[in-house]
Amino acid sequence: MFGVLTADRVAYRYSGNSMGLEPVSIGLQAGDALLVAGPSGCGKSTLARCLTGMIPHLYRGQLTGNVSLCGLDSRSTPLWRLSECAGFVFQNPAAQLVASSVEDEILFGLENLGLARAEMRTRLDEALVRFGLDTLRARSPLTLSGGEQQKLVLAATLARHPPILVMDEPLSMLDSAAAEMLVNDLASVAQAGTAIVICEHRFEPLATLPGLRTLRVAPPHEPSSQAGAVVAAPLSAVPSFSLVVEDLGVSLGQCRVLNELAFQVPGGQIMAIVGRNGVGKTTLLRALAGLQRHDGSVLVNGQRPDLAMVFQNPDLQFFNPTVREEILYGISEPDLERYQGLLQILGLSAYAQTPPLLLSEGEKKRVALAIALMRGPRHGVLLDEPSLGQDAAHKACLMRLARAVADSGRSVIMTTHDLSLAAQADRMALLGEAGFLADGRPGEVLRDSSAWSRSGLKVAPWILAAQAEDALCN
Amino acid sequence: MQLIGRVRRVHEPIRLVVSPLRRTDPRTRLLLSVSASLAVMLPLERTLIFMGLYTLLLAWARLLPSAGRQIWRLRWVLIVLFAFDAIFVDLTLAVTVTLRIVLLASVFALFVGTTTPEELRLALERLGVPYRYAFSLSLAFLSFDLLRDEWRAIQEAQMARGAWAPRVRLRDLALSDLLALTVPAIVLTTRRAWALTEAAAARGFDAPHRRAYRELKMGRVDGLVIAITAIVVGLLLFL
Repeated sequence: MFGVLTADRVAYRYSGNSMGLEPVSIGLQAGDALLVAGPSGCGKSTLARCLTGMIPHLYRGQLTGNVSLCGLDSRSTPLWRLSECAGFVFQNPAAQLVASSVEDEILFGLENLGLARAEMRTRLDEALVRFGLDTLRARSPLTLSGGEQQKLVLAATLARHPPILVMDEPLSMLDSAAAEMLVNDLASVAQAGTAIVICEHRFEPLATLPGLRTLRVAPPHEPSSQAGAVVAAPLSAVPSFSLVVEDLGVSLGQCRVLNELAFQVPGGQIMAIVGRNGVGKTTLLRALAGLQRHDGSVLVNGQRPDLAMVFQNPDLQFFNPTVREEILYGISEPDLERYQGLLQILGLSAYAQTPPLLLSEGEKKRVALAIALMRGPRHGVLLDEPSLGQDAAHKACLMRLARAVADSGRSVIMTTHDLSLAAQADRMALLGEAGFLADGRPGEVLRDSSAWSRSGLKVAPWILAAQAEDALCN
Repeated sequence: MQLIGRVRRVHEPIRLVVSPLRRTDPRTRLLLSVSASLAVMLPLERTLIFMGLYTLLLAWARLLPSAGRQIWRLRWVLIVLFAFDAIFVDLTLAVTVTLRIVLLASVFALFVGTTTPEELRLALERLGVPYRYAFSLSLAFLSFDLLRDEWRAIQEAQMARGAWAPRVRLRDLALSDLLALTVPAIVLTTRRAWALTEAAAARGFDAPHRRAYRELKMGRVDGLVIAITAIVVGLLLFL
């Protein structure tokens, strides 16, 4: 019996580099759910492209093996025909929006199916109601939150009624509430008979998906990260201090994003700020870094603090021809010992002469961190979603480095959706629309169910269990 | 309040203006915009007459504030060009060039403020432009907001690492400043273009049996606007 999706020893090599996918075989029937797991760089996104026909139609590389979608061979069938069999949702929903309103975003895919107008109208209304988007139909997709954008892309894809749905890291940009809603949506999609393939690092939230099978993909080469390396302090020690934030408020246009926030962060502390998509976590970091106009004050000993910021998207910063030049740019007398130490700690030693834009997303994030630390900020670093796109080994490496920075007496303040990462900090603050809803040791904050309920988020039981286990071990 | 830089972020996309012109067919708005743009070829006296009539149109269409904002954004370009032409050529050329840029900026405001990317795509399709080109143009139109936000994000990220500083004097500008801003901009734009290509392909772009959901229909208002535009353009060009 033929499945809706068959991949027979599919492997791929991108032209010009060694990245790609080792041979993988998959067979899926209607209603099956498959999780594709593996470390960064193992080829999960490449596999997703092979399973949707993007490879070989849009990429020039070496594809071996065969992929069959609803009985159609992916090589010989036009891409528009394959797209009718397999819907594809990418990691970043904002990057796949092609229309100026929610309604037109859904209609774009329906128009390409060549349906009668009455049928388009029916499917449009169904999709809007099913995903709770009916009140947002005239809104610009760019004004929606990350969770709403993810829902919209899913609605636009599923309105086409594809027998197969392939998703590449759909949870990475979502807070825990949006992630839970997405998993519930996927359960109903699978129940309706759609075969689902999910490529994802954060597999714990998917555990509730009925009948989920897991496929582990091996990397084509040894991972470059030295995640197990012993971390020496990359920065010299600084005298003790306390970062004092008083009456911090930020308005963006007509919207008041932060209001009268007051807190202190002593040097040597790792603080994780969590909260819903769009609640103002990044805005808070930008205000602390002095990049955002704000009310109130952010001071250390009565002066503006010297904090380095690592942005969510490292591509915003790269323009030098090599990693070495990128990290040392603008530093008149660089401390080469610190530079070498950072390369070693961050697993970048082999890439010193490589153009940063050719690195993987995880490696780029580590270069951005090296740029920030090379400056030797006196009071600490601000990390915006540092675990985005990082596998477990890289996250462990990141936390060890954060600990080394904190051990030098500096503060580390990070924003994250990843509660398992936040649970490893010294302090966790749950940001809501009215300010911090809870602030304290991660174990205490995670168990404050009333605060989580007010924030509209939920803590998955596996996070609480893992945190309790860690506390016991420590 | 403390601030180390002046990179302002606006997350709101360009909004459509509540205007009577929204009731017209997008093809009419396209024709009106193209016709108004052609007025840059007129000599100064006729440009002044056209600008007067065009201001009346903008007032009727409730587009004066958005056109004003668009011109205000270009104020430094206008001042520098005016001063350069007035000093090195003559005052007539300075006035003519400035008026032409003001006219083009207000035409841009008229079209962007009244037309969605989907309407532009449909209008171009109905005017015989192949779908893939009409779609690409509408995506470019849609990307104005994204490009604006990305440019600001790049400025901010480079400022945070000390690779770029705002309000540098022209003579202080170094090649590295330009590289720090333009290389990430080119990379991000290329990546976005590629991501949109994949996203469109994943939802059946280029299917031969595509059918548009919305239909365009010209009404009496369209006929009136087109007739007035034709008369004004005809009079100014041929009298």
